[in-house]
Amino acid sequence: MKKTSSVNPFKRGFAAVLGNEKSQGITIPVFAILLSLVACAIIILALGKNPLTAFTSLLQGSGVLPKVTYAAKKSMFTDFMSMINEFTPMLFAALAVALALKTGLFNIGVSGQMLVAGFIATITVGYSKLPMAAALPLVLIIGIISGAAVGALIGWLKHRFNINEVVTSIMLNYIFEYLISYFINSYYINAISRQSQAISASASLTLANVALGGLKVDIPLGFILTIPVAFLVLFLLNRTRLGYELKVVGLNRRAAKYAGINVGRSLITSMALSGALAGLAGVTLYMGYYTSIQPRVLTSVGFDSIAVCLLGNMHPIGILFSSLLITVISKGGNYMSSIVGVPEEITEMITGLILLFSACGAFIRYRVSITKEEITEEKLRAKSAAAAEGGEKA
Amino acid sequence: MNTIIIDGLAFALPLFIIAIGGIFSERSGITNLALEGFLGFGAFFGAVMVMAFTGGSVSGVEVPMFFTALIFAVIGGALFAMLHALLCIPFKANQVISGVVINILSAALTAFFTSQINTLLVGKPTNKFVLSVCQKFTVPGISKIPVLGAFFTDIYYYEPIIIVVALVAAYVLYKSRFGMRLRACGDNPHAVDAAGIDVAKTRFIAVMISGGLSGLGGMCFAYSISASFSPSIYAGYGFLAIAALIFGNWKIGPTLGACLIFGFARAAGYQLAQTLGLPSTFSDVIMILPYVLTLLLLMFFSQNNRAPRALGEIYDKGKR
Repeated sequence: MKKTSSVNPFKRGFAAVLGNEKSQGITIPVFAILLSLVACAIIILALGKNPLTAFTSLLQGSGVLPKVTYAAKKSMFTDFMSMINEFTPMLFAALAVALALKTGLFNIGVSGQMLVAGFIATITVGYSKLPMAAALPLVLIIGIISGAAVGALIGWLKHRFNINEVVTSIMLNYIFEYLISYFINSYYINAISRQSQAISASASLTLANVALGGLKVDIPLGFILTIPVAFLVLFLLNRTRLGYELKVVGLNRRAAKYAGINVGRSLITSMALSGALAGLAGVTLYMGYYTSIQPRVLTSVGFDSIAVCLLGNMHPIGILFSSLLITVISKGGNYMSSIVGVPEEITEMITGLILLFSACGAFIRYRVSITKEEITEEKLRAKSAAAAEGGEKA
Repeated sequence: MNTIIIDGLAFALPLFIIAIGGIFSERSGITNLALEGFLGFGAFFGAVMVMAFTGGSVSGVEVPMFFTALIFAVIGGALFAMLHALLCIPFKANQVISGVVINILSAALTAFFTSQINTLLVGKPTNKFVLSVCQKFTVPGISKIPVLGAFFTDIYYYEPIIIVVALVAAYVLYKSRFGMRLRACGDNPHAVDAAGIDVAKTRFIAVMISGGLSGLGGMCFAYSISASFSPSIYAGYGFLAIAALIFGNWKIGPTLGACLIFGFARAAGYQLAQTLGLPSTFSDVIMILPYVLTLLLLMFFSQNNRAPRALGEIYDKGKR
């Protein structure tokens, strides 16, 4: 008798690699990213370019791999630092989205909160003559407080008036965008750049053009905070009573209420903390990555961070990696389009595809678990068949 | 006063039809943050078809091309919405992330293809398809009535179309068998399943309708605000529509009210800035009027708001 397997070896391989439920949190996103890179490679091939060169140039452009030539006073290190400069606000913004999502709140207003924090810090500290040692901590504190205030307002409106936080955030986004645009245009406009006046160098969170070993490097000081803040959020969510309460409210609001958790307070706290993180993102963006604010423009960082947060599975450490990945791609895009000769929009498409495939993570997990079931079923069948055969012989 | 009504309607109605699209999707239980992407892609598809038929210049055939654009915008929006439906229904993706991804992809894809197609058509990779401004008409007689007449003056061609489509949509959602099943899918999908109706199929169709209606709204914006298709179509109208439909408590009637408030407040703001002769920087302050007004109104009207019960949940037959 010849045994035929109903599960093909291909599927068996996937089940073996992705089947371990403990490591699925990492293996499935990595698998999804690999799938999306294959899809991007196909698109680049279809445009008649070499996908390998394209991917290498992406990494070169963001300072992860060395380029062939560099301009004077530039090196891989300068590119890397400028990538980190962009990474810092993205990480904070994604953490802001994650913290609110854990409480079941969708903070789509990160961009608006960033703008408020950046603007208030700019006009209070950015245009002052404070020395650096006083200015920088003040910038951070003002950013955190103003972001938190906006977040708390959204949470309070939700608690007190049952206004959906998505609507409040969208409305506030527009209100801040126009209001701040008015103030900038009326009082702080730079007639040449059509942006707000640049902040004083001592208030900037990014030390611009520092001479370092013959190079001119931008040093983003906010970066020092990124990893500790990510771990702090992790600690808050997993090891403190407050974090536990927030998560329970997120999982089941009614159960939380019956368990004696003050739901309203949790909603407000969660939004305030989320806003505080968004505020950090705001000051590192507007007073670090940029030194001025463009009126009537809402940064896309706040919206991209939603996707980055979900790509990192809403886990602070996952978000560290996902924001790094997305920043590397967006930073390297410019260089890639000049080297390979593909339009720059391709980079956005790559980002989109990565997110698209990652969104299917639940589906991959589901398929893998079905395949695993098929395999165990087959084993059982084989075992019982063997047992029956043995019985006949005896 | 007349300008406020005329401009307000011209803005409110496309917003309304996009919001109805959102209602179809959300009442069937699929969270739809992708309206922005749908309306952009729909408008792109319509504009591309116009370019394909005319070879890059619409002069002389504006009106037939306008209707062509509308039809193809609906088709394009519905086709693009299949992506959201596929991700959310068979692929069980998180509906929020799917929506955000669709928005990113839509902006990237349309920008990419616009420059590619323009390279073919005019030899320059510009990011813009130049369309015409939609024609207007005035109903003779009725338009002479003071104040009320303004509703019949300088009507864009798309406005009556939107009203008819909206009426049909309301009929389908509230009176037809399909609409009742659709709403049941959003509140209690297990009951729908027990009644022998395919939840996945109903939701799939709902999301496609959502895409089609958003595409229609997007095309109208392209034909009224900018008279062209360009990345500036992604100005947040989709998110505004989401706000409007939540304001309207996921019901078509109140959503129309929300859209009209937006539209009239917006037009009134512009008008106010003009009549007062304020400096242009000050118009930004007036621009916040619709949003502040909405927030204030929400404080009074949202106490009993309730989202569809099964909104955002992936339907799992085995769950109880």
